[in-house]
Amino acid sequence: MLISKPVIMKKSFSAIALIGGLLLSTGCEKILETPLQGADLSEADALQSKQDVLDLLQSCYDVTANVYNGRIQYLGELLSDNLTEPTINEDLTEVYNHNTLFFNGTIGGIYGDPYITAFRSNRILEVIDDFDFSVVEKAEISAQVKFLRAISQWEILKLFAQPFGFTANNSHDGIIYRTATIAEVVPRDPVGANYADIISDLEAALPDLQVSSDFYASQDAANAFLAKIYFQAGNYAKAVEHADAVINSGRYSLGTSVDRFENDTVDVTEAIFSNTSRPDFGDFRSGGFGNYRSDVPNPPLFKASMDFYNTYSADTSDLRLKSFFELDESGDVPVVLIKKFNQEWFNVTILHLTDLKLLRAEALAESGGDLSVAIQDVNDVRERAYGGTQNNLSTSAAANEIIEAARYERRIEMFGEGDRIQQIKRRGAIEGEAMQVRGNDWDCNGMIIQFPISEKTDKFQLNPTGGC
Amino acid sequence: MKRTLQSLFALLFSLAAWNLEAQVVQGSITDKSGEPLPGASVVVLGQSGIGTSTDFDGNYTLSGFQAGKVTLEFSFIGYQTKKMEVQIAAGAKQILNVALDESSSQLDEIVVVGYGVQRRREMTGNVVKLNAKELNDMPAPSFETAMQGKAAGVQIVTGSGLAGSPSVVRVRGIASIGAGGDPLYIVDGVQLNQDYFARGNSGGMNQNPLAFLNPDDIESVEILKDASATAIYGSRGANGVILITTKRGSKGGLQFNFATTQGISQPTRLPDMLNADQYLQLYREAWINDGNTGTPVLPNNVMSWDDAQRQETDWVDEVTRTGYKAFYDFGVSKGTDKYNFYAGISYDQNQSYIVGDEYNRMSGRFNGDYRFNDKLSLSASTSLTQSIYNRVDNAWAGGLGAAMSTALPFYPIKWDRYRITDAGDTLSRPGDWFTGGTNPVMQRENKDWRITDLRAVNNLKLTYSPFKNFTVLASGSMDYFQSMEDIYEVNLNQNDAVLGRGRAQRYPLRSYNYNGFLTGNYDWKMNDNSKFSFMAGTEYQTNYTRSYQITTRDSLGNANGVRNDVLDAPGAFYAHSDLRDNYEFDSVNTSFISRFLSFFGRVNYNYKGKYLAQVVLRSDGSSRFGPNNRFGYFPSASVGWIISDEDWMRENRFFNYLKLKSSIGWIGNANLTNIEFEARYRRDAAAYDGRDILYPLNAANRDLRWETTQVFDFGLEYGLFEDRITGEIAYYRKNTSDVLLNVTLPRVTGFGSYYDNVGGLLNEGVEFQIKSRNLVGDFRWTTDFNIAYNYNEILSLGGYSPDAVAGGTNDTRTVVGAPVGTNFLVRFSHVDPATGRPVYLDIDGNPTFSWDPADRVPVGSVLPDAVGGITNTFSYKQWDLSFLLVFTIGGDIYDSSSKRQLGRMDDWNKTAHIFDRWRAPGDEALYPLLTLDERNHGSTTPWINTDLWLHDGSYMRLRNLTLSYRLNRNQAKSLGLKGAQISFIGTNLLTFTRYPGLDPEIARDFENATDRNMSVNITYLTPPQERTYSVRLNVNF
Repeated sequence: MLISKPVIMKKSFSAIALIGGLLLSTGCEKILETPLQGADLSEADALQSKQDVLDLLQSCYDVTANVYNGRIQYLGELLSDNLTEPTINEDLTEVYNHNTLFFNGTIGGIYGDPYITAFRSNRILEVIDDFDFSVVEKAEISAQVKFLRAISQWEILKLFAQPFGFTANNSHDGIIYRTATIAEVVPRDPVGANYADIISDLEAALPDLQVSSDFYASQDAANAFLAKIYFQAGNYAKAVEHADAVINSGRYSLGTSVDRFENDTVDVTEAIFSNTSRPDFGDFRSGGFGNYRSDVPNPPLFKASMDFYNTYSADTSDLRLKSFFELDESGDVPVVLIKKFNQEWFNVTILHLTDLKLLRAEALAESGGDLSVAIQDVNDVRERAYGGTQNNLSTSAAANEIIEAARYERRIEMFGEGDRIQQIKRRGAIEGEAMQVRGNDWDCNGMIIQFPISEKTDKFQLNPTGGC
Repeated sequence: MKRTLQSLFALLFSLAAWNLEAQVVQGSITDKSGEPLPGASVVVLGQSGIGTSTDFDGNYTLSGFQAGKVTLEFSFIGYQTKKMEVQIAAGAKQILNVALDESSSQLDEIVVVGYGVQRRREMTGNVVKLNAKELNDMPAPSFETAMQGKAAGVQIVTGSGLAGSPSVVRVRGIASIGAGGDPLYIVDGVQLNQDYFARGNSGGMNQNPLAFLNPDDIESVEILKDASATAIYGSRGANGVILITTKRGSKGGLQFNFATTQGISQPTRLPDMLNADQYLQLYREAWINDGNTGTPVLPNNVMSWDDAQRQETDWVDEVTRTGYKAFYDFGVSKGTDKYNFYAGISYDQNQSYIVGDEYNRMSGRFNGDYRFNDKLSLSASTSLTQSIYNRVDNAWAGGLGAAMSTALPFYPIKWDRYRITDAGDTLSRPGDWFTGGTNPVMQRENKDWRITDLRAVNNLKLTYSPFKNFTVLASGSMDYFQSMEDIYEVNLNQNDAVLGRGRAQRYPLRSYNYNGFLTGNYDWKMNDNSKFSFMAGTEYQTNYTRSYQITTRDSLGNANGVRNDVLDAPGAFYAHSDLRDNYEFDSVNTSFISRFLSFFGRVNYNYKGKYLAQVVLRSDGSSRFGPNNRFGYFPSASVGWIISDEDWMRENRFFNYLKLKSSIGWIGNANLTNIEFEARYRRDAAAYDGRDILYPLNAANRDLRWETTQVFDFGLEYGLFEDRITGEIAYYRKNTSDVLLNVTLPRVTGFGSYYDNVGGLLNEGVEFQIKSRNLVGDFRWTTDFNIAYNYNEILSLGGYSPDAVAGGTNDTRTVVGAPVGTNFLVRFSHVDPATGRPVYLDIDGNPTFSWDPADRVPVGSVLPDAVGGITNTFSYKQWDLSFLLVFTIGGDIYDSSSKRQLGRMDDWNKTAHIFDRWRAPGDEALYPLLTLDERNHGSTTPWINTDLWLHDGSYMRLRNLTLSYRLNRNQAKSLGLKGAQISFIGTNLLTFTRYPGLDPEIARDFENATDRNMSVNITYLTPPQERTYSVRLNVNF
């Protein structure tokens, strides 16, 4: 059959159009969808059940455990006068020298983790309504993620911004406080706003949390954090109020051991909130403290400063000094080895009764509170440290004596826990004392840690460079 | 039966036309040197339909024309058409041999374009065509290397001196940051899978994915540059498109070709490292400068000072050699009216000058076409290549890199004595390897590293022409790649029970790339003046890569993990069948899948043969794009005007050809990493407190899409003095939006990095190309010159900082207002003569002793201002001499290794440049005082980036010098050959540069696409280019 050329042409074009049309009609979008590879899941596949949300929440604890595995603590210690210059680690030497650069990879890693917690926490709050949680369940999950994002970002705020009180109205640059997952470019919030946000989250979380828990968010932990935050902000009455809530609960006791960095076979009776290592799962969460260890072949990265050692060395009855420190005079220069963390692994006690008691003592003394409670708090700690009452404050001790005693005990009790630098800054900013570390004023530029360069945007200004 | 009938008709017809057929003209058509031109045509002007073409030997026989005075026209692509008048009597026979002059205009050449071919004269696009001769004029492991300096606007930075390293190819600048910036490569219509990171960055090198192609198989390479030419490739055309056409059989009898190249390889330059005495002397100086006394303690306390003084190793000499290169290629082809084919095999042994580095390739190809009838034909192209790459660590990983850095000159290769501790323990025996520090010889000798690749690129095309001027083409292809990486490392622990055995690793990889397209073409002549050509098509491509591992099992046989290695093995997997038999790589991991679905069309319009227009539209959908942007549309429009065909131009004495053309289009780049748009989660069992965790891995970007480049092009093609001078001038402006950035996210987002289309980029440039036939006649001299200037600027980064773009090694930065790959460094001012301390400039330009990265400013760029090349070819009788000079103007080289080779004294050896250092107050020196303490250099970090290590990257190099002698026909015939040529070839013979380092042509190892875009011209112990001397023999029979 003879077919004219235009007809053939038309047919051929029709064929092409048909094939194209078929491809389109069969769903181009579907053809182009490719499955995720390996163990990866899309969010829709990952978050399908209530348990999935709980597993996402568990990942927030996982990251938080890593934040507190010693790393966040030793950044604070290096800024303070507790340690000597670390050997062989340039990144940490920068911290010690109060001149951190924005290319410091170690700092970048530590800085990033709390915001991972914040993102995951915020994501949970964004999707939780899609799941069939009861009102109570939802409230508790929401409270936990608010607790976690608050404490995570609080740790960053303490190290990367000048303290509360640095400016009269606390309008100086703080951090970005994340309460949503949106990744918009924003400037740093003022420190005052950061404190308000953190306190708001913790107070909002408080009523819906379980009363107490070793390793998970609880009312006791939230109260303890609030006590510490108000204390740092110089609001001593509120600090006492929240410390009272925990101390007076009777759920915690100082016990007899000065060692609160124990593995999970030892009941640390004063621990309010800890991370946990699980050797049965090959899961260890005290790695950052390994840098202090003096019981391994390699020389430790961190050693205690002579300034610290000499503060306490005169009192030979101090169990803490005897147990946790050792003067090594075998080399050209004597060094103070640290034994406090000489364990393969342990649960890191993040909040404990000692801290709250010393905090309450100082806060009561500073705010004209009940000094008898303050004196008893200090003496409780001292009796454990000296194995008797020989160093107790007298029942008539004045406020300034209580403050001095509490600070004295606090430094040695919380050695390695990153507390010392915060006390120096609080005393400088709130109490107006002329505090220094190795000759550098408490508020000089290098006393806060530089942000990683990744943070710099049109709106986000890094901390001043050049150190102290 | 059919043939008998055809013969009968022919006989009858010939009898009837006896009077027409009696006279005959015979002869040969050759070029000026006497080389036959097979396929050249001869037509009788004024006698429609009378003509013939030459056979393989260039011979023709013309008959069937009317006797008397006739005008014969001899023509061949690439040669000037010649007309000759002949007076021939009825029945007479005349011999007429014709030699054609080369034409440089090549106006009538057929150029391969996307999904078709076009006659150059009728094109509106900017396409450079390189033929086989230009690609085979130098020994090259991969064809792209040979393109350097031959195409205006195409920058080729040859890979390092390692045999398997890839070149960086940039067409008209770089228009990407986070997406791949390389052009799209297409072989005979098959879009290649070109993953430069299939093997990551291992051993200081990325492996070249294009090296599987045998350069001798290539007939031509077309480089598509502007929107008119590339829009048909839509979302993948923005970086330019390189179309590779392989050889096919031409009409004639069986033809055989044999070629071999034998050569040697040497480095263009070797590093001048300190010997042991020099190093120790300088180390002691640093020790004293720091206020130390007594005997210095060596870095890492590896050995005593006394021991160090007793030993000497020239590590550079230990890791380099004269490499040997051997290439063999054999091809056979044949063509008839019905079919044609080309079949070839080749073997290439390519040793570099690095000991142990050798890339061997064996390849075979078969290309064939079969015409069933006037309407239906079938074409097949298939190639199979196996390469074996024997690798050694280099650059930062070992080899020459180690010799330039951590292999200190007092380290021995092996101990020559017993070493006993005070306690009586034997530390080493004579002949034991030295293991106390870097020992690249030990590393090489105890590591068997081989990558065995198999690649098959296969294509089948069916062409159907149901009626005149209409063709449907269906094409299906598969590009298959299989790679086995085997590493075997001998256990060197003397006390280990398994001494002599070792760890065998195998990393199998397979990738499958399927491509199919269907096009319809229709040529429509509306009237004598107007012609249209329509093309429409659809295409589908899918590509996936799989890696394989061994499933490990517990005692009950339950799977409990995967692995790629076997401990306690006797040797490498490739060498031990028992390993291969006992360990099955049964766990399959598909690392990525990508798919493209496309629809496209093209309309060409030609009015009176001198007014040209073209419109192209392509729509691409891809699995790489986010769900919110699945499909993109890429149009272009172009026009051309052949001014020289205007009546008013015909009388001018200068221009015989002049064409203006211009195009505009919006072209894409889809070289994105797969699945980056999706928020991905992962679950870990019993991860914290014994409970499962579920967590997000990345920040999602559902809007992720292609980059779009708006390309404007204006060009002028010209031919002067009857094509004695020809060339092209072009201006282009490429404005890229939605530039993909692999952004280092602020950590406050909760993630490290993600991909975002937020950048803007500009490339603007001018290209100039001229070919001049300076001398014609027996002694011929041709000059081909091209230069391309390109201006590159980042227009926006979406508010991100210069440090926000993660580029792997991160030696360069992105700065708004500066080019891609900006050197963003603290400025070094001078060495303080009083103290010897380095003086830097702070951000305001004030001198300071302190190095602070906050003082970094843009101080240079790795991108050159201009690149080009000049080829001069001289021919006299059977001799040819050609030399190619390539040049790069502007652009900076950052020698990142210098910060350690010339910085603080440490466990790196230094180069001899360090002798120009400060030693005493009052010294004017280039380099500061020697010290072991970085604080004496004003820094708290030991090795610092400053512009002291930044150098002018301009260079000119004698890239290629070739002297050839070709047998004439008689000489060849006497040897039983149809032709033969022998060539002496030298590459990289001379380099002119102010760069004080090893080699100014640098394509280092890269971490990822961003790094590859931003860090060309950054060297970090990168092996220098090779210089080669070769002999090539080419024989036809």
